[in-house]
Formats: sequence, structure tokens, C-alpha cells
Amino acid sequence: MFLVENLSKSFGGLNAVSNVSFELKQGELISIIGPNGAGKTTLFNLLTGHIKPDRGKITFRGKNITGKAPHQICRQGIGRSFQRTNIFPRLSTFDNVHVSLMAWRRKSRNIFNRSDKLFGKETVEILEKIGLEDKQGTTAGLLAHGDQRLLEIGIALATHPKLVLLDEPTAGMSPEESNKSIKLVQRLVREQDLTLLFIEHDMNIVFDISERILVMHMGTIMTEGNPEEVRANDEVQRIYLAEEQ
Amino acid sequence: MSGLSVGMVIFLIAVGLSLIFGTLKVLNLAHAAFYMLGAYLCFWVSSLIGQSIGSFWVSLLIAPLLVALFGGIVEMLLLRKIYDREVLDQFLLTFALILIIGDLCKLAWGVDYHTVDTPWPLNAPVIFKGLIFPRYNLFIILFAPLLWAGLWSLIHKTRLGSIIRAVTHNREMASALGVNVSYVYTGVFMLGCWLAGLGGALVAPMSAVMPGMDAVVLIDCFIIVVVGGLGSLSGAFLGSVIFGLVTAFGILIAPRLAIAFGFILMIVVLIIRPWGLMGKPE
Amino acid sequence: MEDKKSQAVKSKPIAIGMAFALLAILPQILGPGDLSLVNEMLILGVAASGLNLMMGYAGMVSFGPAGLYVVGAYTMALLLFYTELPFGIALVAAPVIAGIVSLVVGWFCVRLTHVYFSLLTLAFSQIIHTIIFEWYGFTKGDDGIVDIRVPGFIDSITNYYYFTLIIAGISLALIWMIVKSPFGKTLQAIRENPDRTEFIGIHVRSYQLAAFVLSGVFLGVAGALYCGFSHSVFPDFGDIMKSTEILVVCLLGGIYHFLGPMVGAVVYMFLDKTISSYTEYWPLVLGVVIVLLVIFLRGGIVGFVTEKIAMAKQRKTAEAEDYVSS
Repeated sequence: MFLVENLSKSFGGLNAVSNVSFELKQGELISIIGPNGAGKTTLFNLLTGHIKPDRGKITFRGKNITGKAPHQICRQGIGRSFQRTNIFPRLSTFDNVHVSLMAWRRKSRNIFNRSDKLFGKETVEILEKIGLEDKQGTTAGLLAHGDQRLLEIGIALATHPKLVLLDEPTAGMSPEESNKSIKLVQRLVREQDLTLLFIEHDMNIVFDISERILVMHMGTIMTEGNPEEVRANDEVQRIYLAEEQ
Repeated sequence: MSGLSVGMVIFLIAVGLSLIFGTLKVLNLAHAAFYMLGAYLCFWVSSLIGQSIGSFWVSLLIAPLLVALFGGIVEMLLLRKIYDREVLDQFLLTFALILIIGDLCKLAWGVDYHTVDTPWPLNAPVIFKGLIFPRYNLFIILFAPLLWAGLWSLIHKTRLGSIIRAVTHNREMASALGVNVSYVYTGVFMLGCWLAGLGGALVAPMSAVMPGMDAVVLIDCFIIVVVGGLGSLSGAFLGSVIFGLVTAFGILIAPRLAIAFGFILMIVVLIIRPWGLMGKPE
Repeated sequence: MEDKKSQAVKSKPIAIGMAFALLAILPQILGPGDLSLVNEMLILGVAASGLNLMMGYAGMVSFGPAGLYVVGAYTMALLLFYTELPFGIALVAAPVIAGIVSLVVGWFCVRLTHVYFSLLTLAFSQIIHTIIFEWYGFTKGDDGIVDIRVPGFIDSITNYYYFTLIIAGISLALIWMIVKSPFGKTLQAIRENPDRTEFIGIHVRSYQLAAFVLSGVFLGVAGALYCGFSHSVFPDFGDIMKSTEILVVCLLGGIYHFLGPMVGAVVYMFLDKTISSYTEYWPLVLGVVIVLLVIFLRGGIVGFVTEKIAMAKQRKTAEAEDYVSS
């Protein structure tokens, strides 16, 4: 479903990502882990079109999406959340999801209708899925941090993606918030038959819910496998211990 | 000849503007107003002292310092409040300063124009190969690059300069290293104002000191700073040269539309390389 | 917690109706001088509302709105001066030409962001101003174009006021429609977070260009209205002072509210005319007002009022709850 072949990108003389290849099957829940600077976020930016690769190919559901612009990649069915909280602060929680939904429904160019009359019910349905429907009137910037990350997922969901890329979804969350958020993500993946690829530092979550783990180190995929395999892998232990020192 | 010396003065002012934008990241529209203030203060101080031989030179010393002092007050009271705000706030606040300073000058010195005599020993012309060069203009043409060289050394060769450069490149890191960023900001702003005031004082013997003298200079400075690179000293130099050439070219081809050439230059640079020739992209 | 916006929307039709009724009978109440002032306020309000479509809603700060305003004014003036075309055609041509110019200028400008975008808009508006100022043969340069013909039936102070009222009303209604549409909401999303908007499937640049052009169209309408109002046009309609005036008006009223610019226009013109009659140092006063505005009243007048109302309502709710529980 999602095939990455020999993806490479360097900045100046630095190889941020070199020859990364992997494949995702429909419905899989994969995480990417690796020490800081391993190239995870650069890889994400390549997959979502924010930067163009120097070499390599990305195929999504049979279509070549290498080098396409972010908004085009989004239309193909890939959704993304960002590392920094990326919502629309001054808009209401409802509007945050609503504007995303209208974009997916290709109604954003419309200047004649009143936007409130469109897709209200659908928007509320999405809000219910992420548990924010009682906060729909609140200005998004005023939500608690954990709720903002949930809203992020809501915004991404509204574009009805088949593949969702989450960049450190639990960053900055308390353990209860992380737990709640991850349970939600798992439920959504099952309900919507989503494929999920996420970067995460919280090892508990990674080993708890991932079906497969890709370990990145210095721009390449060092190893991959299911949680037991990765946990037992000596090299993985080494690079993380080295980082801790 | 007069064009070249005026160009030098504008260059000095542009350097100040560039410094302020580079370090404080503020678009100081009022910069030319500080220039005008410098000219007025030069006139005022020299008329206080009375027409004596050293009066201009004393004014040249004092006026820019007064402008710098005023600038420091403005920075501490007003500018500090808008450092992290959007461009619109900076535009409006500094534009408001133009209005305020302009009217304060009118209040203090009236709407008529004033003049300052060309000082001794520069009031006699130099005759070279049958051509007459006003000595004062020559002085400016020589003085400005020297000043620029002095500034450049200050910024690149002294410890103070390295502090300024550190704050320019990365405010948070400099602060973490113990630099008092507020003081640096105030200091750099005062330095920029000093340069503008100096420009004004230098110009006083050459042209009339009057309301509205800031308008023309402002546009030219902005074009130079955009072309050269917001924040770069050598960029200000390069920008001045290019701007001077383009304007001269424009006067040759289409005298009435010569000003437009400057704007076209600004547009071209903004489109192709927005951070200027010697500037750094953010 | 009820949405502030939905409250405003509910009370709006009533308020608008009342406002229009009041505006319609103003000629009976005010003398010609004051009526003229209100006329000018409406025109400035249209210009500012046009600018705010781009600035307040899409977050694109232009330093040169007067460039499009003066294009609208001069299009009308030149057509009426050089040709026998009817007034109505000239009136329609003004925003169309202004729209075309904004398309060209905007195409370049939206490629930049933040301060560079703003500087480029400034450069373009200065070029437009210079061209109009210097092209004496065509635009009459500094002399301006005077004695512009206006059809008899709107050529009195009262009738031109009604004419402005109608055009302004239509303009504001159109801007309202745009702002409330999916396009309008998407513009706001772009203002809040252009990167995120890109990744919900929106080609941000083309939306920004559209906002730029729409802004230009309404600025052109305002310019044309003023041309008819003053029967003349001058190059300083497009100078940096005028641009700043339009910007200040937006900020004064509040850039995050639909009626902010209109309120700002009314207050600004009122201050201008009142203070100018007492002192010649209006620039000084204006400067101080702007400083206070920027530092203390970021949300503008409408923002300030809306906040106070919301706070008062919260207090009332809290008091009511206390009362019930006690």
C-alpha cells in the first residue's frame, strides 16, 4: 500500500536520510524510533512533501507521489500531525475540524454559501470520535495541551486519510493523557481501517501498540521487526544506551 | 559631486537602519525622522553656540549624541513592547514616531527652513585640473567610508562587536550565555540612531533643514537596505553603490521616472532574493 | 461556553436593520457638512473593509492598499475625463481594473511571506504612485484631474450620500458573504497556520492570491466612490500616508471583527476633523493615538468592546449561579 524505495536527502554535506526503504501494508500500525538526529522528522517531511528527496521513490496505493506538493499528497489520502501542536488557535474547536472537512469535500473555494450550513453533523461526528464534542465552541488555542493534540488528530481525520503519519503524538502529555490518546488512536485505526505510521519516543507506547517497529540511526533504517525482536536486538540497546550517556 | 556626497550620507543612514533591523529585527520606519532630528539639533546647537569657528564641529559632536539619547528613551519606553509582535505593529508604531517626531520638530523650530553655514576650514573650494570641488562635499566623501570601516572593525574585531553579532544570530543562545540582551538591543538602537543623527548633522550645511526632509531619504534607505540585505554592513555598502548606479542610470534614460528605477530594483531583489545580496535567509 | 461568534450572528440582522434605518434618515438630521463627513466615513470604511479581507482574515499585511485605491480612483477619473462613457460604466471599470492590477501585483507578492511580502506591497504601491505622479501627459500628474462629471441625479450632497450608502451596503454585504463562506473560513485557517492548511489539501498560495485580488476590487470601489464624491483625483490618493491611514483605520476598529474597519473609519474621520479644527498638529495627535493603540488596544475598539461584553456576561452567569445555589 505504501512503498518507499531508496529515499535520500542531504542538506549541505549532511546526509539526513540515506537510502531508506520500507513497505507498509493496509491496516498496519508501525512506529519509527531512533535517537535524536536519526532523521525521523526529515523522513516524515519527505513523505509528506514538505521537502523534496534527492533520490528515491514513494508509491502510495499504486500512485507515484514522489516530489508532489503537500496539498496534493494530502488529497491522495495521507494525513499528518505535526511535532509542534499544529492547530488553528483563534478558530473554535468546531471550526478547526470543519475547515478541514470542507477542504476534503472540495468546498473551500466556495464563496457563495454560508459555511455554517455545510457538514455540521459530520463535523460533530468527528468531534465525538475524538471526544471533544462538548468543547466545540471553545477557542482552540485555549484548550488544554492534551486536548489540542486530540484536536490535531481530528483535523487529520477530517481529510479521511487512508494512511496517517503522526509525529510524536504524545509529546508533552501526562501519562493519563498519553494513555487516553493512544487508546483513541488504536480504536480509530480499527474502526476506520487506517494504516498508521508514527514517530514516538515513549517506549512504553511503542512496544505496547506497534505491530512493527522501524529503528532509524544516522539517516538509515538500522533494523526492523516486531516489538520482541527489536527489544532483544543488541544493536538497538547499544545506540539508545549510547544516547543516554 | 553633490550627488555622491548626498549618497554617502544616505549610505550612513542606511547602515544604521540595517543594523537595527539585523539585531533587533525591527523595521524602523522612523529612522529617517531621527536623521531629520539630527539636522535640526545640529542647527539648534550651532545657533546656541553662536557663529564661531568651531560651532559646527561642536554641533556635529553633540547632535548625534542627543539623537542617540532620544533613541534610547524611545527604545526603552516604546519599542521594547513590540519586539515579538507582528510586522503590522512595528510598521504602525514606527510610522507613528515619524508623525510625532515630525510635529515635535515643527513645534520647536517652526515650519520655515533653516540653514547651517559650511564650517571652516571646509568652506573654500578645491580647484583641481580646472574643476571646482566643494571641500565640504569632499570631506563627506572621505569621512563616510572611514566611519564605515570603523564600524565594521567595531562589529567584527572587538568583543563588543562579537556580543552584538551573537545577539543578532541567536538571541536565545546569547541570553543563555549570560548576555544581557536588553542592554544590547538598547545599545544597538542607540548606535543606529546615532548614525542617523550624524547623517542629519552632516547634511545640514549642504541643504535646507526643514519639515519633510525625511521623506525622500526614507525611501532611498529602505531600498538600499533591502537590496543589500537587512542586517549586513557590507550589504549596506553594496546596496548604496548599486542603488546609486541604478538611479544614475535612471536619470540618464528617463529623468522623470528615475525614482521608479529604485523601486523596480527593490522589487526585483525582493522577488529573486528577498533577504538581499548579502543577507541571510531566515 | 457559548461561542462568542454565534451570539454576534444572532443579534446582527436586527442591529443591521436598525443601523440602515438610522443611516437612511441621516440627511434629515444632519447638515450638509456633517453629511459629507459621514459620506467620507463610509467610503473609507469600504476601503478598510476591503483591506481587512486580506489582512484580518487571511493574515496578509499589505503596506500599500492605497496603491489599489488610487488605481480605482484614477480609472474612473480617466475614463470620465477622456471618453464619453457613462458614469455607470466607469464605476464598474474601476474595481475591474483594480482587480487586474492586484492580480499582477499579488502574483509576485504571494510568493513571499511576512516582512518581505509587506515590503514588496509597499514597493509596488510606490511605483504606482510614482507613475501617476510623473506621467503628466496622461494623468496630469500633480495637478490632478478636476471637474469630473457626475450624473445630475446623484450630484448633490444628499443624493451622493444615498448613492454611497447603497454601494457601501452592497460591498459590505458581499464581503460578509465571502467571510462567512467556506472560502472565508479557509482564509482564516491560512492566517492561523499556513503549513497546516497546506496539509488539509489547500493550495495556500492560490487562496492568498484570490484574497489579494478581492481586496483590490473593494479598494478600487472605494477609490471610485471617492472620485465621484470629490469630483477630482490627485496622486496623493495613493501615497504612503493614505496607505497608513487605511491600515490605522483597520487596527483602530479591530482587524478580527467584520465591522471593525467600518467602526474604525467612523472614529478616525471624526477624530481627524475634530482635532484638525483645534490644532494644526493633528499628525502629532494621530501619532500618539497610534502608539497607544498598538501598545494597549491590540484588538481595536470592537475587540475591546466584545471582550468587555463577554466578561460582563460571564460575571452575570456566575452571579446567577451563586444566587441559585444559595
